[in-house]
Amino acid sequence: MEFLVVTLMFIVFLQTRIMDLKRGIFCLSVQSALIAAACLVVGMSHGGGWHAFLPGVLTIAVKVIFIPYAILKVVRQLSDEKEIASDINVNYSTAAAACFLALSYVVLDSLLPGSQGRDIVASSMFMIMTGLTLIVMRSRAIMQMIGLITMENGIYLLGLIMTEGLPLIIELGIFLDVLIAVVILVILTSRLRLSFKTTDTNVLRKLKG
Amino acid sequence: MNLFFLAALCYSIGIITLLFPHRWQKGAHYTASLAAIFGSALTAYGAGLILFDFVQTESLRWGSYSLTGDKWSAAFLLLTGCAGVITSIYGAGYALSYLGKRLRMLGALWNLFLGSMVFVILAGDAFSFLFFWEVMAVASFLLVNHEAEKRVTWNAAYQYLVMTHIGTAAIMIAFLLTGTHSSSFAFADMANNTLADGMRSVVFVAAFIGFALKAGLVPLHVWLPNAHPAAPSHVSALMSGVMLKIALYGFGRFVFSFVPVWNYWWCILVMLAGLISAFLGVLYAQMETDIKRILAYSSVENMGIIFAAFGCGMLLQVTAGNNWGTIGFMAALVHCYNHSVIKVLMFMSAGSIMHATGSKNLELFGGLLKKLPYTGAFCFVGCMALAALPLTNGFIGEWMTLQSFITLASTSYGQDIRLWSSVAFILLGLTGALALGCFVRFFGIAFLGRARSIQAQEAHEADRFMLLAMGISTVLVLTVGIYPAPLLTMLGRVLPADTAVYMPGIADVLQSGGELLLAYGNMLLLFAVLTVLCFVVVVHMTQKRYVSSSITWNCGTEPTARQQYSATGFSKPLRRAFDYLLKPKREVSYVRKDHPYFGRLLSYKLEIPDMITEKLYLPLQKYFVVSSAFLRRLQQGSVRLYVSYVMAAMIAVLIWGAIYK
Repeated sequence: MEFLVVTLMFIVFLQTRIMDLKRGIFCLSVQSALIAAACLVVGMSHGGGWHAFLPGVLTIAVKVIFIPYAILKVVRQLSDEKEIASDINVNYSTAAAACFLALSYVVLDSLLPGSQGRDIVASSMFMIMTGLTLIVMRSRAIMQMIGLITMENGIYLLGLIMTEGLPLIIELGIFLDVLIAVVILVILTSRLRLSFKTTDTNVLRKLKG
Repeated sequence: MNLFFLAALCYSIGIITLLFPHRWQKGAHYTASLAAIFGSALTAYGAGLILFDFVQTESLRWGSYSLTGDKWSAAFLLLTGCAGVITSIYGAGYALSYLGKRLRMLGALWNLFLGSMVFVILAGDAFSFLFFWEVMAVASFLLVNHEAEKRVTWNAAYQYLVMTHIGTAAIMIAFLLTGTHSSSFAFADMANNTLADGMRSVVFVAAFIGFALKAGLVPLHVWLPNAHPAAPSHVSALMSGVMLKIALYGFGRFVFSFVPVWNYWWCILVMLAGLISAFLGVLYAQMETDIKRILAYSSVENMGIIFAAFGCGMLLQVTAGNNWGTIGFMAALVHCYNHSVIKVLMFMSAGSIMHATGSKNLELFGGLLKKLPYTGAFCFVGCMALAALPLTNGFIGEWMTLQSFITLASTSYGQDIRLWSSVAFILLGLTGALALGCFVRFFGIAFLGRARSIQAQEAHEADRFMLLAMGISTVLVLTVGIYPAPLLTMLGRVLPADTAVYMPGIADVLQSGGELLLAYGNMLLLFAVLTVLCFVVVVHMTQKRYVSSSITWNCGTEPTARQQYSATGFSKPLRRAFDYLLKPKREVSYVRKDHPYFGRLLSYKLEIPDMITEKLYLPLQKYFVVSSAFLRRLQQGSVRLYVSYVMAAMIAVLIWGAIYK
């Protein structure tokens, strides 16, 4: 488990350094696969039964396969995309992620001293904050979606470790939510490309209402 | 209370007429008018029952919401009912000119406005009060905005909306502060609040600002002269006649029940605000040429007089004791009634003039008396009343106001009160004189002389609904003016039971002040009637003509309409005298000048900027625009920026939680 978590943190760090869309999606897929593995490990430690494995299997189906596939499909359409502006230097996001990693350990030690699975909780907080950082610092819609899924993975991991496995119906609800959110985002991104010839969200600045 | 629910039912029927199909808009209009008339009549009847003790103080309660009708509210309900009946009759005729221009909307909003005013007065807890207060504000905003095609109307309506919400905010502060120091937000519990002394002053000032804004006291009056000309005439009549009075209702409720012990400076604040409004209001009224703006500024003046009388009452209560204050409160209440009737009458006459000529510019009228004989007669009585001449009810109210200031001067123990009362006499005297000039000008320019424009020549008399409504209010003005005792005794019943202090009854107070309850002695009245009778008899008996008519001598030339006194010319001396206050902007230039002495064409532009707007509101507006530019940097449309705010907040919460767990 600890090994998984350290790998996960490493992957998330890597995520902050990637600017290429396809590589970013691949990285996201790996990150979700690690979450799925963690999920299966927790399921195993609870001693089997098919519904102990179901969340893990669902994670693989939804987050490792379906979502990256859907985003990749949009990315393929973006071959003629007009580049608007280069993003903020990736080093800033990595530095911010490093700060957040330290911050999450400090906050955790102060809030819940001596808790079990300290690394896991800290890494989930780290993932939530890094996901937000990705949304804030990347301007392209696809990258912001990746940030959102990273954040969601962090929340899922936190739920997994804190509650030792949620009731099945809630797990299913969460997956459905993520699925719908991604479908909507993919549609919106396509529309954005059709309307503005770009997926850079900087074009969406005009205040309405 | 059932009667009021019946009235609410009538009003709801009126509101439902909105759903009538477009073909039936005339039917919808008459249904709505009838509903409003019946609803208002029921309200007045119900209020009368409470006022004359046929029904005890009533209240209804659902959970924490309640409706209460006591005598203080009954007095204002009666006023709302009477004015509602009169203006609704008028509206039945007047609003027909809006045929095809959202007429059904007008009828429905009219009923909503009336209903909300009734329930503001009936509200028995802070929440219901604020709720109906807001409904009233929104309904009146939509009514003002009825002719939304015109940019002027639109501007005025939005200014009104902004101002009235500032007032509501102030009232809300007052209610919430009082309510959190009481066991609940019901008025009965709020009366037993535990506010500390400093806090009570804050509450009082907040309430005063809120209600003064609705009442249109200087410097919070800026919305009023714009909103009234923009609204349809019957709406302005109702707004000026009733809605402004509801501000006094709320203020009285607040002052009597929630902060029953008054600081000395509060009374001075109320009194001075009233006096200054009275003076500045009538001064600006004198300068205006738009008839509805004149009436709007006159409302500022009269609300000023009402609040001055109220403040005088508070001051008497605080300094003199012995319930001398009753005389001031009584004056405020009586003038409230009188001003309501007069202002309703005057706005209705203004509406008839506008209906007849299609204009509201005083400079275009002239000689209307021949074209509109009935409207002219009614308007004459209204002008007399607004100028506070005897035989009209305007005189009664101002006379009682003066009496309360005389009482203040005679019972004062300190130098400062004597000083204040002399200031009051000066300002009230000026106000009275200016009001007389203002309404002589109003009537003289509009109705006498010769027509100054084609519109004025082709004017026609109003229809019978409008004449009926004006007739009723004229009769009321004269009846109360000549025989005020019934009104005074009726309103005397209001004060003793409901003010928090014990009062021995209005008659005693007035008599111990050395005055009779009647403003005119019976003998005086008899003498006046006999004199007039003798004069009429002599004139008719002697068969001698005292009047011979011929053309005015004009150095041998035929006088033309343009040689008459214009409205602007009439107020010129006052503009010179009060130059330092009004700061008029004159611009004279030659359009054509062929020869130094003749063949010249002059253009003369005169503008009198509202001093308060120029000196107070425009700088404030500038400041807000500048500070908004700063805030614009925080909200500039970038979603990423907004997400980063969320993130910053989250991290801050985490760190805060870690430090102070």
